[in-house]
Amino acid sequence: MSEPILSARDVVVKFSLRGQVLTAIREASLDLYEGQTLAIVGESGAGKSVLTKTFLGMLDANGWVDSGSVMFEGKDLAKFATEREWLTIRGKKIAMVFQDPMTALNPLRTVGMQIHEVLELHQGLKGEAARRRTIEILGQVGIGDPGMRYSQYPHEFSGGMRQRVVIAIAVACNPRILICDEPTTALDVTIQAQILELIRALQTRLGLTIIYITHDLGVVANVADRVAVMYAGDIIEYGTAEEVFYDPQHPYTWALLSSLPQLGVRGRPLYSISGTPPNLFSEIRGDAFAPRNPRALKIDYVARPPYFKVTESHFARTWLLDSRAPKVEPPETIRAMRAKYVR
Amino acid sequence: MAQDKREALIEVKNLRVEFRIRGSRPFVAVRDVSLQVFKGENFGLVGETGSGKTTIGRAIVRINPTAGGVILFKGRRINGIIPKELDREVTHKIQMIFQDPMASLNERAKVDYIVSEGLYNTKNYRDEQEREAKVQKALLEVGLLPEFASRFPHEFSGGQRQRIGVARALIMEPEFIIADEPISSLDVSIRAQVLNLLSDLQKTKGLTYMFISHDLSVVRFIADRIGVIYKGQIVELAETEELFSAPVHPYTRSLLSAIPRPDPRVEREKRVLVYDPACHDYSKDKPRWAEVRKGHFVYGNETELALYGAVVTRPG
Amino acid sequence: MMSANERSALQAIEDQSLFTFAEYDEQAAERTGYSNYSYWGSTVRVFLKNKVAVALLLVMMSLLIFTIVQPLLPGQKSPTKIHNDPQTGIQIRNHKPGGEFWFGTNSIGQDLWARIWSGTRTSLLIALLVGIWEVLFGIVFGALWGYVRQLDALITEVYNVVSNVPNTILMMLLAYIMRPSFQTMVIAMCATGWLGMARFVRNQIIIIRDREYNLASRCLGTPTSRIITKNLLPYLVSVIVMRIALSIPGTIGWEVFLTYIGLGLPIHIPSLGNLVNEGRAAMMSPSLRYQLIFPAVVLSIITISFYIMGNAFADASDPRNHF
Repeated sequence: MSEPILSARDVVVKFSLRGQVLTAIREASLDLYEGQTLAIVGESGAGKSVLTKTFLGMLDANGWVDSGSVMFEGKDLAKFATEREWLTIRGKKIAMVFQDPMTALNPLRTVGMQIHEVLELHQGLKGEAARRRTIEILGQVGIGDPGMRYSQYPHEFSGGMRQRVVIAIAVACNPRILICDEPTTALDVTIQAQILELIRALQTRLGLTIIYITHDLGVVANVADRVAVMYAGDIIEYGTAEEVFYDPQHPYTWALLSSLPQLGVRGRPLYSISGTPPNLFSEIRGDAFAPRNPRALKIDYVARPPYFKVTESHFARTWLLDSRAPKVEPPETIRAMRAKYVR
Repeated sequence: MAQDKREALIEVKNLRVEFRIRGSRPFVAVRDVSLQVFKGENFGLVGETGSGKTTIGRAIVRINPTAGGVILFKGRRINGIIPKELDREVTHKIQMIFQDPMASLNERAKVDYIVSEGLYNTKNYRDEQEREAKVQKALLEVGLLPEFASRFPHEFSGGQRQRIGVARALIMEPEFIIADEPISSLDVSIRAQVLNLLSDLQKTKGLTYMFISHDLSVVRFIADRIGVIYKGQIVELAETEELFSAPVHPYTRSLLSAIPRPDPRVEREKRVLVYDPACHDYSKDKPRWAEVRKGHFVYGNETELALYGAVVTRPG
Repeated sequence: MMSANERSALQAIEDQSLFTFAEYDEQAAERTGYSNYSYWGSTVRVFLKNKVAVALLLVMMSLLIFTIVQPLLPGQKSPTKIHNDPQTGIQIRNHKPGGEFWFGTNSIGQDLWARIWSGTRTSLLIALLVGIWEVLFGIVFGALWGYVRQLDALITEVYNVVSNVPNTILMMLLAYIMRPSFQTMVIAMCATGWLGMARFVRNQIIIIRDREYNLASRCLGTPTSRIITKNLLPYLVSVIVMRIALSIPGTIGWEVFLTYIGLGLPIHIPSLGNLVNEGRAAMMSPSLRYQLIFPAVVLSIITISFYIMGNAFADASDPRNHF
């Protein structure tokens, strides 16, 4: 297996809120491999956006990286302190696509000018050269009649078109890594399918490495080569898409998959997880998911599980994988999925 | 299915809803929708943004005024201007569950007031004790603890708030509930809780639902029959499995092809169909709403209807 | 991917019994969603953090208490009594501050100290009455205007006409018709003041009237009056308080202006307006400037205090500042 282009190890991110300290990311680790798509999936509040914001130095003013490292191109992004350092990364090497295209675009400038701006800043293109390249990029993201669209304003585009423009701005400078933070959550399902196809096409053409954040497991199945499941600021399971969908190991992943209506049987209640994610202001002992896990072991309340290896590419933070743990059968839905997986 | 003999609780005929913006032409949100909801069933109304599905729901509960067509409840017309007792009966028998748990509860009122609001209006209780008892019962039925009545909405999570909204509707003892995207704003792991709750309540109380959603996979799981709306026009209506195995209208087919499935191998092989409204030529041959197979309705002109009627069931 | 800490932690766990199932309490899971955030509690907390606003609040409160208490203190003089020198029988005019008269006397021999406090009392009373009227009438009117769709078109047209009549002219007309007096003052300012509040409330209500919780109330058959009182107005309390805080110095300012153009309170009723006016007349000679300075200072303190307190409260009641 090749070396990852970005490696996060034991990252801890804290926020100061209402006079207290909130630990949003608790020693999360992940690896990003070139040319692949990593999907980070989890509930809201799990910390998906916060983790990726540390890669761009875009944490809110009251947040900071407490410890851990994020190695990228030989430098540790977690130690960056000045805007100067971040400007060499943002937009140029790592770019981001946000959820709401309405607010990501400047309503007072034409679409062409916004892409133009980025090209000028990072690639030094000016005037006619920049204009030609802009029109080329607009075409590449599937916007018809790009010459005319160049001089239109964001409000003249539909939601899906706007998101294409946002993607165009992000890939204009050929970044190595593209982070997509729930880019299709606000879009209709047919438009979403088109945007996902677009992102995949761009990845192949430009050799992008993509981090895709979402709570929708259907989208994950569509885009991801690898999947990281996040819960309460920690990555609790990590593996290839097939491994995580067909052979999940962590009870939270089981619960997440079994509660999907797509996998439910009509007339029978869906498997549901009771309660809510834990309060991140207080220190969490042991496994954060334990209070909501009917299959929790006593040790889950005492000590935090380390990453157990399932295969070379598949890891999970659960005591159930320890040799001393009792054999636990996952829910029926998961067992049915396992049957599809050939070990 | 012998649905002709089933009682139609709600009948919508050629419904048209417009929104007037001062000074310009009215915006037509619902063009021409006809459907029936039978007693005891769960009817799914599916459409994307701008389809008008929420507007239909709101027209039925009399929040939006109608510009054309009729809405019948147990055979009596309930849209437009109606006598006061009928209005009161509608308030009593037809209730709504809203989409956003963060916006659908009055932040400045206690849960006790929020849940009893309908009771205060219809005065459907003898004394303070009975009212309190009803509130407690409603909270327990949705899986909340009675002690929650003295708290404020901001103290609860999204899923709990949504359940308070359900309790608020249930306490009226309705016959028909319109659930307008009740789980779209909830976290993925909480959706199952609320879905299960709605299913249970339907069975134990014999309720009839109209479940409005843009998420076809949820509707497939919970609805008995499904109606598909595109830009204010209903384009297809059929029983759930029939719709999924033999969709005929090109919009329905494109919608179904785009649903994300949580199975990597299936998703890789997926081919998404794109719907282009220009594929219909309605200049000479006018379209109509017709039953092409038993219980399966489609919107199309004569040529299209003939084609649809001959479609063979797709495997799987 | 395992760190050194984790590997050693793994080995350190010897106890086999830990690898058995734990008790699972579903009810406990249900209780975890509780947060004890209180809107008003946080508003007060953020307000108290603003040291300047709190200091001014204390200043204003002391001022208010003092204006009420002052006449009851021993040795206070009447604000209207003209003081004559016991020896010569001549009026003690324009006497500098000091000795018997703490703030000095004015041009006809009245005690300025007593006049200032009496004047402040009067002006604050006018401002309070006008403020209360604005709240009661302005809010009710604005709420109906904003919520009842059928009324909106009609009232907006009327408003557009009425609001374009300059307030000055209206007040001058009223003062002329009714003769200058305390009541005239109050009525004139009430007649013009409520419009602004009504418009403001109407705009706020239009913003929130179609939110889902209001639709839900309509669905449940709640009558309009209860929707306004229980659903809409509680949201507006903070902005309304802020407007009142800013209207008080505004009213006093208008009073001063009207006095200046000769339509204020009659001279025998001391008010800040009258005092400033008298002081203005004496402004030219440096030895008499104190007659202007004292009322001007009191006026400034009131204006600045209410302005800063009002803004501090507005900031504090914004939930986004509650962390």
